[in-house]
Amino acid sequence: MIEIRFHGRGGQGAVVASEILANAFFFEDNSVQTFPEFGVERRGAPVAAYLRIDKSQVLVRCKIYEPDHIIVLDPTLLNAVDVTVGLKPGGWILVNSNHKPDELGFPSKFRVATIDATSLAIKYHLGPRTSPIVNTAILGAFSNISQFMPIKVSMKSICGAIKKKVPIQRENNIKAAKEAYNMVIIDKELCKAK
Amino acid sequence: MKEVTTGNHAVSYGAMLSRAQVIAAYPITPQTQIVELLSNFCATGKLKAKFLKVESEHSVMAASIGASLAGARAFTATSGQGLALMHEMIHWAANGRLPIVMADVNRSMAPGWSIWTDQNDSLSQRDTGWIQLYCESSQEVTDSIIQGFKIAEKVYLPVMVILDAFVLSHTSEVIDLPDIKLVDKYLPPFKARDMMDMKNPRAFGGLVTPDFNFELKYKIQEAMNQTIPVAKWADREFKRILGRSYGIIEAYKCEKADTILVTSGTITSTSRYVINQLHAQGKKNVGILKIRMFRPFPAKEVVAVLSKAKKVAVIDRNIGYGVGGIFCQEVKAAFGNEKKHPEFFNFITGIGGRDVTPKDIQGIIDYTETHKKPKEDIIWVGLRK
Amino acid sequence: MQSKIKVIPTTLKVKDLPPTAISMSNMLFNKTGSWRNYKPVYDEKLPPCNATCPSGEKIQGYLYLVKNNKFAEAWQLIKQDNPLPAVCGRVCFHPCEVECNRNDYDESVGIHNVERLIGDYGLRHNLRVKIGIKKKQQIAIIGGGPAGISAAYHLARMGYKPTIFEAERQLGGMLQYGIPSYRLPKNILQKEINSIIKMGVKVKTGMRVGKNLFIEELAKKYHAVLIATGAYKERNLDIPGEEARGVIGALDFLHEANLPRRQAGSGKKPTISKDVVIIGGGNAAMDAARSALRMGAHPKVIYRRTRNEMPAIPDEIRDTEEEKIDFIFLAAPVKVITKNNKTVALECIRMKLGSADSSGRRKPIPVKGSNFRIKTGTIIKAIGESPETSFIPASLLKDNLVCTDKWGMTAQNNIFAAGDAVTGPKTVVEAIGAGKRSAQAIDKYVRTGKVTHTEIPEVKPVRFEQLNTAYFEHAPRVSMPHLEFKQRVKSTKEVYLGYKPNEAITESDRCFSCGVCNFCDNCWVFCPDMAVIKKKNKYEFNYDYCKGCGICASECPHNVISLVEEKK
Repeated sequence: MIEIRFHGRGGQGAVVASEILANAFFFEDNSVQTFPEFGVERRGAPVAAYLRIDKSQVLVRCKIYEPDHIIVLDPTLLNAVDVTVGLKPGGWILVNSNHKPDELGFPSKFRVATIDATSLAIKYHLGPRTSPIVNTAILGAFSNISQFMPIKVSMKSICGAIKKKVPIQRENNIKAAKEAYNMVIIDKELCKAK
Repeated sequence: MKEVTTGNHAVSYGAMLSRAQVIAAYPITPQTQIVELLSNFCATGKLKAKFLKVESEHSVMAASIGASLAGARAFTATSGQGLALMHEMIHWAANGRLPIVMADVNRSMAPGWSIWTDQNDSLSQRDTGWIQLYCESSQEVTDSIIQGFKIAEKVYLPVMVILDAFVLSHTSEVIDLPDIKLVDKYLPPFKARDMMDMKNPRAFGGLVTPDFNFELKYKIQEAMNQTIPVAKWADREFKRILGRSYGIIEAYKCEKADTILVTSGTITSTSRYVINQLHAQGKKNVGILKIRMFRPFPAKEVVAVLSKAKKVAVIDRNIGYGVGGIFCQEVKAAFGNEKKHPEFFNFITGIGGRDVTPKDIQGIIDYTETHKKPKEDIIWVGLRK
Repeated sequence: MQSKIKVIPTTLKVKDLPPTAISMSNMLFNKTGSWRNYKPVYDEKLPPCNATCPSGEKIQGYLYLVKNNKFAEAWQLIKQDNPLPAVCGRVCFHPCEVECNRNDYDESVGIHNVERLIGDYGLRHNLRVKIGIKKKQQIAIIGGGPAGISAAYHLARMGYKPTIFEAERQLGGMLQYGIPSYRLPKNILQKEINSIIKMGVKVKTGMRVGKNLFIEELAKKYHAVLIATGAYKERNLDIPGEEARGVIGALDFLHEANLPRRQAGSGKKPTISKDVVIIGGGNAAMDAARSALRMGAHPKVIYRRTRNEMPAIPDEIRDTEEEKIDFIFLAAPVKVITKNNKTVALECIRMKLGSADSSGRRKPIPVKGSNFRIKTGTIIKAIGESPETSFIPASLLKDNLVCTDKWGMTAQNNIFAAGDAVTGPKTVVEAIGAGKRSAQAIDKYVRTGKVTHTEIPEVKPVRFEQLNTAYFEHAPRVSMPHLEFKQRVKSTKEVYLGYKPNEAITESDRCFSCGVCNFCDNCWVFCPDMAVIKKKNKYEFNYDYCKGCGICASECPHNVISLVEEKK
């Protein structure tokens, strides 16, 4: 079983990101379970969403305290919350950031990748300029790094899930995801260091 | 067809597949998505039902009663405070012997104001004459609603299908939506008893003197007695036509168990996860008894499973204040006239939506195994004392 | 004979009892009607709009038809009482809207706006009213104003072919010559008059009483004569200099201003100075001021009381104010200043309000030494009119008005009178109502030789408190589209543009239907004994089962159901 935790801010699409990724994994015959941090959400406030993926039925029903990987949709969260809390050593941290992975200062026990999803969202007019919706772009990047994981997810499944779950601007969302797939920066050094 | 969907939407699909004809509903967190999807089904014609917007949950049930009485298949859903507001009409539906099916998303009662899960809302309605089914997965939610109509329309008692707030209601997972043609085969159109006939008008719900009301109340108990075999039959039929079965209770890996956990709702699912791991490690003396049907309480069936165990750990996500866990009370009562009974441990956990983790379950198992008798009447799991 | 209530034996066992609290058998035997002390009856009442309409229009009725998109039927209904709906929809002072119960809820229903649309609909679709069996009696009507036209129309509907004698070249009276075209376009008036003429009304114009027409002669020649000569004699100011050039009467001014160029006696519009002053606070003053504005002047209105006491209808005052016309309140003229018999200024005196006079309004009292002058070349007098009675036999007069009984009959049996000649200056719709009543009286008279006086009991209209407003939603009145100030002053185009059909439907739906059933089903829905039976276009009570609880009456939004004591 793989457990992924999403960090974002209310309104950025973290919950939808977890649902899109769940559907993408579901298309590849996995059992999935995804849920938001239960309760009330406010635009701009830190939010979390969770995703479990397994080949057999997911039975455990509680929050994820020790995720295998994390996906951070907003770079400003790095200064606000400890996104790595409980993250297993060797786990991936995928961050929406215009920095290189080694510039973010994560401990070397984690593997880090960055993608400038905000620029892509603005380029493809996803969401308002003041709060671009970055969720589809970051999932394109995730598809790339999933090749280093035991359960992979293809771009085809990501695009299929976007088509299913995103109500508007499907084509632009898919373009952003595809571009992100190629744009993601993986820190080779950190990769080795695991 | 397999689909990734939330527990709430699983409810809506269940009602749609059952071809509910009248849906009166009032939104309340965490049930709102159920109403949203159902109103969408009605608006787009996917479900040919009359959707009634009413001003409160009390009116929701009043409208459902009218619809059911007139011969329509009536469905609704609510949660927590909404269920409490409905209470008067909850009695009415049962005493009126109306086969209404309602989903209740378990929500802790205020104050402290809460939108998170525990079972005190639905268990407050346990003595109203409603059949209660507690679910552990979205799949079970959809299936239980369909089964609920099958049972209700046979015994003429209303059915409450219960799911945990958020842990189930807002969690998306894979469910296999039944083919509606098969559901149609399982659940033919509702043919009401011809109580409402304009040409042959009869008075309904009027004053009943003590000379007769005693007998009428007896009939509800009689119908409850009948419900256990009917529910088993409905589940068997479901297996035959739709391929899945749940039982009214389920003994899980109890074959070699001397300690049995009694669970309901999503705690069952997490407990399965723990028990699977233990069994995989070769530790096979722990099992689970899932109670799916709480009303009528399947006492005989429960005793049959638990009497083999030395220790029984009842995990309650609820509390009967001044007594203890409500499931635990019922389980103990089931053994009332038995000569022998296992040692009962009553664990209370998860109230007010507190997360229940595999670690908590493991802790419950450890406590039960290491104690001959419980040190306290109620063992609070995870309480910061 | 009512069957007795069946007693269910207490020996019955569980299996013999029904599944729930339901009667053991059919309950029809239980005739709960025998319990009744009060009995509900469908008892339609008079809506206040209808009660107050001087011409007796069934306003609720046509609003209901419009609401249901039945414009032609609405036109037919309105035409039963009012021959000129397109005209009245524009110029009537609509007392119906003042009495409308909706005023106590949010805003009155825009009745005159709907009326106007119905009238226009009838003209556009060339609708016709049904004419009764032909009658041979000859009837003369003197005066082609609203009262005369109304009488002619109603007589024509009954099958008569009355003759109207009109002094001017055109029918219409004040409508034609008094009311400016920005309020009432001439083509609308003409079309509505033409449709009445087509019903068999004969018209002789240029016939003036005392000149080439004599009442006594007509009374001999015709079976009945109706005097409907109106009130067009203008009152004088009685101040020095009044005879000077540049001092004119409002009606003369409006008459000239309203004539198409080729018809006007002088061949020209009346000439007025830019600084024209209008004296008076009535509708004629407002019309004169607004007409002068459209001729390029900057008119000033002088009135001796304040805005609150102005007799003009509120809508007119508002429109005049919107057109930025100056008002000088609490001032009265004392002298016209002339130079070579030409008006150059008006001297006025300031007034203050004293105690209430016989009209109920506070009496203006001059303030000594407060005289002031207003420079002006034209003064328009608009201080009221009275009937011209010098040509009417003195035996028919009293206090300078034609004297009649309630049905319009004068001291001479076959001579009737109606309108302003009887009442003094009143409104268009009152003249129309008077014309209708005298047509009915004349019909009776020429057929039977007398007018029977059947007293109609006075019916109190439904009051707001009698309605159950829980069933009404608050809704703003649909606003009437109109020209903006800049467009108004440039031309004599009609200021108000009229509802579109969908707007009229929305507005009609605001009607409370006071006292009149509009098939809302509330009684049928609420009756706990299912004793309300729905029939085509009506409901009936099944008194076998109605136990007189009165829920139907209290839940009827419209106060249609009354409870009457049961005779035992």
